[in-house]
Amino acid sequence: MNVRLETIRECLEGIIPGHIGTCDAEGMPNLAYLSQVEFIDNQHVALSYQFFNRTRQNVLAGSPVRLLLTSHLTGAQYRAELQFLRTETAGPLFEQMKAKLAGIAAHTGMSGVFKLLGSDIYRVLSIDQVVGPTVAPPPPPVNYLTALRRAAQKLVGCANLECLLETALDSLQSEFGIGHVMLLMHDEGRGRLYTLASRGYPESGVGSEIPMGVGLIGICARERSPIRIGFMTSEYAYGRTVRDSIAAEGYADTLETAIPLPGLPEARSQMAVPILACERVLGVLYVESVADLHFGYDDEDALVAFAAQLGQAILHHQQVDEVEEEAQASDAAPPVPAGPPLRVRHYAANDSVFLGDDYLIKGVAGAILWALLQDFAERGRTEFTNKGLRVDPRIRLPGVSDNLEARLVLLQRRLDERSAGIHLAKSGRGRYALAVDRPLELVAD
Amino acid sequence: MLDSETQAFLQTGVSISLAACNAQRLACMSRGMGCKVLDGGRRLAVFIKRSQSQELLDNIAGCNKVACVFSLPSSNRTLQLKGEDAVVQSFDPADGGIVEHHVTEFVREVVPLGTPEPVVRAVFSYTTDDLVTVIYTPTAVFSQTPGPKAGEPVGAAK
Repeated sequence: MNVRLETIRECLEGIIPGHIGTCDAEGMPNLAYLSQVEFIDNQHVALSYQFFNRTRQNVLAGSPVRLLLTSHLTGAQYRAELQFLRTETAGPLFEQMKAKLAGIAAHTGMSGVFKLLGSDIYRVLSIDQVVGPTVAPPPPPVNYLTALRRAAQKLVGCANLECLLETALDSLQSEFGIGHVMLLMHDEGRGRLYTLASRGYPESGVGSEIPMGVGLIGICARERSPIRIGFMTSEYAYGRTVRDSIAAEGYADTLETAIPLPGLPEARSQMAVPILACERVLGVLYVESVADLHFGYDDEDALVAFAAQLGQAILHHQQVDEVEEEAQASDAAPPVPAGPPLRVRHYAANDSVFLGDDYLIKGVAGAILWALLQDFAERGRTEFTNKGLRVDPRIRLPGVSDNLEARLVLLQRRLDERSAGIHLAKSGRGRYALAVDRPLELVAD
Repeated sequence: MLDSETQAFLQTGVSISLAACNAQRLACMSRGMGCKVLDGGRRLAVFIKRSQSQELLDNIAGCNKVACVFSLPSSNRTLQLKGEDAVVQSFDPADGGIVEHHVTEFVREVVPLGTPEPVVRAVFSYTTDDLVTVIYTPTAVFSQTPGPKAGEPVGAAK
């Protein structure tokens, strides 16, 4: 093999469609255009199987396979010889290709026509460049290795989860030039992903939720695999998929729907990358752009590597915060705040909390806040520890993988965004301090 | 015999690719630089670059069976024309205008779709002395416009 496949991956994006050549038993050639070629590794690619056409008949009858690929960056052409191995009809590769194909179909007016039936996996036997003039490729928008190095260095300097989230999202903006990004955490007990931080949107969307397996983000988490789409497609648009899913799956009672998911209404390029650590899905990084084909294989590689480090760091900080000892309730009662009272209403059915007439949060974060405010009102308590919250029977955390630290960050952010006079701040490792600016009137429903 | 509408389609700014197989059934393909309808639609001449096509030319010399795909990027309309009597001939400089016209039409077709013109010009750069002509009689025409009917024979050859 003269050319390494990883160095010509732009040819697989389909911007200049590739060709596939096969041959029947009588020696008659057949040529077809390729909708999609997916890079697996330097020895393997997958082609989309959408119709049982002549190409597929020839391949299944044992025909050798030849591709002609063209780079839209340089005009270089390559001939690749492939050997068919097998077809996959489910799993990460299939979902990656299905999502990408939906974008390609929408872009080429083929929505409803292109439907992925399978991912045909081939071994790459050889790649040869066709002789001919080429043009110099444009410089890449980012030096991915430099961006990754700088972003990784910044993560190393973080001492807690909140700093980690801020730094991760800031780095995606400053080092990778990504303008719109969300970080969602995985609620393993409830099968959801909830937004914990975002950049580039009018509303942060902190607290908004996506069910596992729904839309690009949910599929990415379920399959533990990056998913990338280069063109706008309604099939993976969030507003609709989430609404449809809520209706179909009966999530309406429990899913966070009062806080809308942030997102670009006209996103043309989307990519979701799972945050994994120790065989667990901790969350998802989601980035998007209004430009077609904004994210390529290099962006995907860089974000997967970045998410790997982020995942280890998130896991570390969550575990470190859990080993600290229980704090003692402060002996000194906090000063009694003055001013008009703030009515805080709690609905036990779903642990939703309203500040005045405004909805704040529900679920585990709602239960935590209600417990903190009860202790504050009854005992003047302002210091809390993760460890104490974990064993608090009022909160009912869903087992070991409870993401307590992330839920506290979520609660802290929602409170800050509402500016209602209740503050939660980290006061040490594994510890939080509650501060209240106004008298509280707690109402339990 | 290709009908007049098909003949006209083949000579617009379509993408052209020509393939033939070796004795081990491995196909080789090259980009066409234009085509010309001969004998009122009975035969077809496809121009390719010799420097990029030695394996393809060897395959044609070995078995004469070819498949050629014509696709208009802006509409996805695609036809595949197969034949069993392909022969290779020297390029007639008198056909230079056809190649030039084809490249112009193809650039006009794909640049608005987003491919940078210098890239298209690089792919289609040529010298006349590097061109070679493959002539064959299309005996089967298939629609390959994407969709469930792709691959079905069409009545373009009469």
